[in-house]
Amino acid sequence: MADIEVRRLSKVYRSRAHPDGLLALDGIDLAVADHQFVCLLGPSGCGKSTVLNVLCGLDPQYAGEVRVAGRVVSRANGHPFRVGYVFQEPRLLPWLTVRRNVEFALQSEGIAKSEWRARCDGWLGRVGLADFAEAHPHELSGGMQQRTAIARAFAVDPEILLMDEPFSGLDELTARTMRELLLSIWLETKKTVIFVTHNCFEACFLADRIVVFTARPGRIKREVTIELPRPRNYEDARLFELSVSVTHHVTGTTARGTRLPD
Amino acid sequence: MSVATARKLEAGAARGLLRRVPEAVSIRLASLVVLAVAWQAASILFTERFVPGPASTFAALWDLARGGELIKHFGVTMARMLASFAAAMLVGMVIGTAMGLYRRAEQSLDMWVMVGLTIPGLCYIIVSFMWLGLNDRAAVLAITWATFPAIAINVWQGVKAIDPRLIDMARVFGASAWRRTTRVVVPQVLPYLMAAARFGLGIIWKVTVLVELLGRSDGIGYMLNYSFQMFDMADVFAWTIFFTLVMLAIELAILKPIERRLFMWRPEIRA
Ligand SMILES: Nc1ncnc2c1ncn2[C@@H]1O[C@H](COP(=O)(O)OP(=O)(O)OP(=O)(O)O)[C@@H](O)[C@H]1O
Ligand SMILES: [Mg+2]
Repeated sequence: MADIEVRRLSKVYRSRAHPDGLLALDGIDLAVADHQFVCLLGPSGCGKSTVLNVLCGLDPQYAGEVRVAGRVVSRANGHPFRVGYVFQEPRLLPWLTVRRNVEFALQSEGIAKSEWRARCDGWLGRVGLADFAEAHPHELSGGMQQRTAIARAFAVDPEILLMDEPFSGLDELTARTMRELLLSIWLETKKTVIFVTHNCFEACFLADRIVVFTARPGRIKREVTIELPRPRNYEDARLFELSVSVTHHVTGTTARGTRLPD
Repeated sequence: MSVATARKLEAGAARGLLRRVPEAVSIRLASLVVLAVAWQAASILFTERFVPGPASTFAALWDLARGGELIKHFGVTMARMLASFAAAMLVGMVIGTAMGLYRRAEQSLDMWVMVGLTIPGLCYIIVSFMWLGLNDRAAVLAITWATFPAIAINVWQGVKAIDPRLIDMARVFGASAWRRTTRVVVPQVLPYLMAAARFGLGIIWKVTVLVELLGRSDGIGYMLNYSFQMFDMADVFAWTIFFTLVMLAIELAILKPIERRLFMWRPEIRA
């Protein structure tokens, strides 16, 4: 388990299209306590994935200070904490079976082989894929592949869990089941979770806290604390109201279409 | 026997066999029988002098085998092919990988591998012989030279097709650089390496016989030319058939099983 501390995080991308650099993140301050479930919410291209890539150490070229469990995130520090990352796409190795995909992550994390069987069976069972452990990814539907990726992320017993719009490619019915599954797993394991989405309702349903980003360059526009009791219910009227007001924070308009003062 | 009755007999035999033999095999067998029948028919139509039938071709092959020429010249040709194949794979993989990884290498080389691919093999052969003399070093140089561009192009495509997102995934889960290379990168490139090997073998066989015809005094290419000089059509057929059988054997006994093992997971390649 770990807390996350981000201070004045800025990120400039240099590319051929933008030789002078493109400012993606501009001075992000973010503190996430242990066991907290935080949603990052913002328009497309505002830098949400960039934040996750910095947090997990994939992108070491940033300005500012980023600490996870007290340790600075950098290439030189190697891989000091365990991350479970659920990408926007499943990112499974297509030549491995579902079980071997999970084992690939376990072995990469240096987890003892004697534990593999129990962890694989346990997590594949939790996401409803017990019967598909020996199947290859191309034999699974998109939702099943994404569930495999979720099982893989939990199986390594991560200190922080990063999820990048994991359900946005799914139909709403599957997405609902997956959100409920995620919440029930989270209530048990209480990982620190950073969950990226641009779906306000999803954010309100899942999060303790919602961090709303501005359009590029990404800055933090507002924070919303969701105090709904858990376990939460899709039919809850307060959930619906909350999601409407969060939507207004994101779009910057009231229900009547006039701009809110910032 | 007409082709139509042959087909009918074929179909009957195939139906009888179908219960035990998989369809893919029975279709191949059927095509083989049809080809043999057509061959025999052509031989009758155009006389044995121009189209030796299966019987006289295999008789000629038997004579070559008994006289020891078959094994001798086949061995020489195979040795040249294997040495050149190894060299061409090595050069092709180094160049292809560099082109796939580094933009500078790609920009400076992409035109030249394309040019290398279009220049006729004959040019490489003549130049090699003029540089190094009529010897085996020149032969291997020429064959390697004519073959490696095709291999380089396949490897280049393979390296470019590597999905960096999978490498990122492995890195996030703490996989070491070695593990990312062997368990994530290499499996992605393997299908392209197999294709490169296939292309390479196809080109190598054609160039090797040409090399032997032009500048060596042994090997299957030389013997083909010799039979041509003697106007011994049965021998020409015998050498050609023999080499075709060898290539088929390599395909069925080596390449296919490797491919089946490596790519079992892929939906499009079924055993
Ligand atoms: N590798 C890169 N090279 C150059 N620019 C990049 C790169 N990755 C992202 N960017 C730029 O940085 C900005 C933020 O990108 P990011 O992927 O973090 O957005 P996002 O908030 O995750 O968007 P989405 O919701 O669409 O996924 C974008 O405007 C994009 O143009
Ligand atoms: Mg994104």
